[in-house]
Amino acid sequence: MLSPERLSLPGPEYLAQRHVLTYMEDAVSQLLENREDISQYGIARFFTEYFNSVRQGTHILFREFSFIQATPHNRASFLRTFWRCFRAVGKNGDLLTVKEYHCLLQLLCPDFPMELTQKAARIVLMDDAMDCLMSFSDFLFAFQIQFYYSEFLESVAAIYQDLLTGKNPNTVIVPTSSSGQHRSRLAPSECSPLDGVEASLFYHCLESLCDRSKYSCPPSALVKEVLSSVQRLTFYGFLMALAKHHGINRALGALPDKGDLLLDPPMDQELEKLLSQVSGLSISTPAGSSGDIANLPTRTSPRISSPWKPLHHRQKVNTESDGSTDETESSEN
Amino acid sequence: MATRERFPPAKEEAVAARGGGRSGRLVSMVPSKFRAGGGGRPGPSPVNNCGLHLVIQTSSVAERNKPFEFRVNKDQSSFHNRLLQHDLEKNHSGKQGDGRLLTPLVRNKQVYVPVAANLADLSGLELKQGGGCLSAFGDSSIHTPTKSRTRQGCHSAGPNISDNIHFGSSASITAFPILHRAADEKILNSDRLTLERQKLTVCPVIDGEEHLRLLNFQHNFITRIQNISNLQHLVFLDLYDNQIEEISGLSTLRSLRVLLLGKNRIKKISNLENLKNLDVLDLHGNQIAKIENINHLGELRVLNLARNLLSYVENLNGLDSLTELNLRHNQITSMKDVDTLPCLQHLFLSFNNISSFDNILCLADSSSLSDITLDGNPIAQETWYKNTILHHMMQLRQLDMKRITEEERRMASVAARKEEEKKRESHKQTLLKEKKRLTIGNIARQWEIQQNRVALVTSSNQDKKDSDSCQINCSAAYVFPEETRSLDTILSNSVQGLSVLDSHLVEVEGDTLYLYGSGALESLDRNWSVQTAGTVITVSFMFIEFDEIVQVLPKLKIRFPNSVHLKFKETNIVTLQQFNALAQVRRIEQLTVDPQGNPVVNFTLWKYYVLFRLNHFNLQKINGTEVTQNDIVMAERLFGILAHVASSELPQYRLLSLLGESRKKQFCYMLEAKGKKSGIVSEESNDSRRVGGENANRAILNYTTREFHTEKLEEIKERKKFCQTYIQDLVKEAADINMKNESLQKLWPQMFIELVRDAVIEIRNKNSYMKLCLQRITDQK
Repeated sequence: MLSPERLSLPGPEYLAQRHVLTYMEDAVSQLLENREDISQYGIARFFTEYFNSVRQGTHILFREFSFIQATPHNRASFLRTFWRCFRAVGKNGDLLTVKEYHCLLQLLCPDFPMELTQKAARIVLMDDAMDCLMSFSDFLFAFQIQFYYSEFLESVAAIYQDLLTGKNPNTVIVPTSSSGQHRSRLAPSECSPLDGVEASLFYHCLESLCDRSKYSCPPSALVKEVLSSVQRLTFYGFLMALAKHHGINRALGALPDKGDLLLDPPMDQELEKLLSQVSGLSISTPAGSSGDIANLPTRTSPRISSPWKPLHHRQKVNTESDGSTDETESSEN
Repeated sequence: MATRERFPPAKEEAVAARGGGRSGRLVSMVPSKFRAGGGGRPGPSPVNNCGLHLVIQTSSVAERNKPFEFRVNKDQSSFHNRLLQHDLEKNHSGKQGDGRLLTPLVRNKQVYVPVAANLADLSGLELKQGGGCLSAFGDSSIHTPTKSRTRQGCHSAGPNISDNIHFGSSASITAFPILHRAADEKILNSDRLTLERQKLTVCPVIDGEEHLRLLNFQHNFITRIQNISNLQHLVFLDLYDNQIEEISGLSTLRSLRVLLLGKNRIKKISNLENLKNLDVLDLHGNQIAKIENINHLGELRVLNLARNLLSYVENLNGLDSLTELNLRHNQITSMKDVDTLPCLQHLFLSFNNISSFDNILCLADSSSLSDITLDGNPIAQETWYKNTILHHMMQLRQLDMKRITEEERRMASVAARKEEEKKRESHKQTLLKEKKRLTIGNIARQWEIQQNRVALVTSSNQDKKDSDSCQINCSAAYVFPEETRSLDTILSNSVQGLSVLDSHLVEVEGDTLYLYGSGALESLDRNWSVQTAGTVITVSFMFIEFDEIVQVLPKLKIRFPNSVHLKFKETNIVTLQQFNALAQVRRIEQLTVDPQGNPVVNFTLWKYYVLFRLNHFNLQKINGTEVTQNDIVMAERLFGILAHVASSELPQYRLLSLLGESRKKQFCYMLEAKGKKSGIVSEESNDSRRVGGENANRAILNYTTREFHTEKLEEIKERKKFCQTYIQDLVKEAADINMKNESLQKLWPQMFIELVRDAVIEIRNKNSYMKLCLQRITDQK
């Protein structure tokens, strides 16, 4: 953590850049909110727990949206939690609508905005037929790009729009969220006959954007890789390519590779435990009171569970199953 | 009496021929059998026991002193024949209907009513006859066997007449027989003439008989009434049993009081304009289909229209003296105008086609009616028949020939009152139902408006709502008939409707509590009787925002402890997390979420989520379908991890706060029953454990209503702002300290060197330094 470059910045700026302030603020805020409870077991204990959970990425559970999107770490944590919690839905093979995915998101974050979900769906569905069903993996990867890089994508949309209309994008890139969103929606319908913009020029603009942006951007090398494979491309084509790019997924580090998306052995074990309890119990007491199914996972010990390590290092082995690839109807191209 | 029994239909009949006017006269026919043995004068002939008496008394002073008595004695057999004939003719029907004694006056003795001028005695004016019910105007006719007073004995009529009367058959082509009576006969029966059974096909020209008062053409074949217009004193005209097709030739007979046209072929009542004094009109046994042209007969007392083709009775006004109306054996289905007859006492409607009291409702309005027959009508088969009739016609003294007792009347009125109450009740019910329908329509409309306002966000939603609202509006079309309208008109219309109708509805029907409209939720604060509350098993919410329902769920738990089935329709359940709120109910066995107005039902996962989240209730049915073991396992498979993650990975302090918060909130609920802010929804862990053991890990999955959530976010924002400034200050301070520290660190070596240098310089000259030190010491002292 203590990289030498910290000395190159004045303290507060450094702290802000590293989002330390965000967490400190939040910690104090949480402390205030729960001061009665916390006072029972000590403030030191609280801070330990808080920063532990931040490290593990569980701090975003059921938190408000403004906090969840506050830092890249929070976003990644949220993505990861979402994946873990609803992997079973994907495993079951259900294809769901935007609204339904949104509901799932809301189970974790009650005020999660519909807009974001819809944008993600637009990536999957190439901006048409918004009521289509989507596979879990398609949605998840698109959602990852949209959620994690949302500010970046807005800038990209603005640039793309400018390129389409022939302006020199380098002069005006101060995207505000509203304008960017607006234009991005219009983009595909205004496609020129040539469909999209020239890839190299586009990359050029994006590169400078990445250099200047204070928000997180995908590694420019990977962007270059995406853009170099084609001559021209549309906005959603670009987003789709980003969503499907393994490198970016890895760089982001929140989700496993696509092939491994449905695998999570530790959780599967837990699930098996749960299932055996449910079925076992309800078989023994077919219609009786649901009684004590209840008291199951007494938290074993106040969490020694493994801190979150990037997944793809752990699970490189399994790549055979690719079951979820293109289940979504209109997801191609 | 024996005779009566042997010939039941042959009851006494009486037509009270009213002696109106100055010259009222009495016509009375008494079957002589009743006279037999009675007082009165003995019959002049031995066979008289079967004869009939006809007494006509004129009111003229001269005649009053020596009233004529006409007595017809017929031989027994012929009378019997006649009776039998009548029996056949009216067959069984006469049994009840005709066997009435209208007036007991003339029963066993011949009565001489002294002076017809005695108008008060009108009821005594009787025309009695043995053969049939004259009062009913019998389906028989009046047998006026007014032969000349046959002192010579009672021979059969035919030869008798031929003895005294000579039909002069003129040679003229017209071939009207001309009748001449012998002089002595004329003197004897100066005012009467009987031409019974003469096989006449036309009316003979009657010469020199202008003073004639009574004329009898019974049992002939006359087809047309003619040649009698000169008989201007005629009072009584009997044309019973002829073949007359049209009433005519009577316009000059202004004195005519009794006109008997029974058993003819008349199709239409007509040409009676001048017969203003008509007292008795018998038209039975004809082919009349319509009552008409009689409204001017203000003196008419008896009208017989039995055995005709009437199907409606109307046009009776003007018959101000009518006391008796016989309408037996028609096809009457309904009647009116009866209430315009001020004197009507006897009404005979037997053997018609009346099936409902409503069709003869005018009877109830008649104040004079005291006797009525309705037997042989469909209505008489009904169980309520007697009670209804008696109840509606309190003035009735006889119904279907039976005297009505007080007891019957009382029972009838009780029964009828009951009936009426029942009717009123059912009317009330329908009113209530209608009101309910209107109210629900109104609520639905309001709901739609509300939804439209809320859901203007997405156009697709909008379309759907529009179509929905149209649907609802169409169903309530009676209020707003126009079907296509803009939102604005809907709005304004509904505001109108609002003032008229309630905006909510609460209803307990059977074991179901229906709540329509958000206002209905307030009813949960009401004190429900223990019994009612106990019977409610199903609670149905309609047109209520789910968030509002959430706030009253704890109350539901308390008020309706037995409710195990929740129904939601048009409640705006959009997300899965809303189902979290239901976990706080005491018990749910069935859950019904109608797709209408609850988009969540379109999700493939909703059922599993419900099963998962409400696992502790052991739900039996969701939307009517049985929950299987597989469903439960599937639900667990899909969402089990979520619960696991929630419970095992949440930091301790948050876990406490999430549960604790709800505990706190619940506490608030208890304190202030109507906590406005108490939107938070989750289980109090103790409570849930006691009730049925809800998973602690699931309890974390709770639902906060939108309102409360924004409130909470607001709170968080404020706190965040504070924390931000606080931390900024802290950091700034820390950074300051750090900077100072750093600069100190930087300066210190130099400072140290300087200090050392100063010290060294100071002590370089030992003596002077010593001196200095000593000096300091002395100075200190």
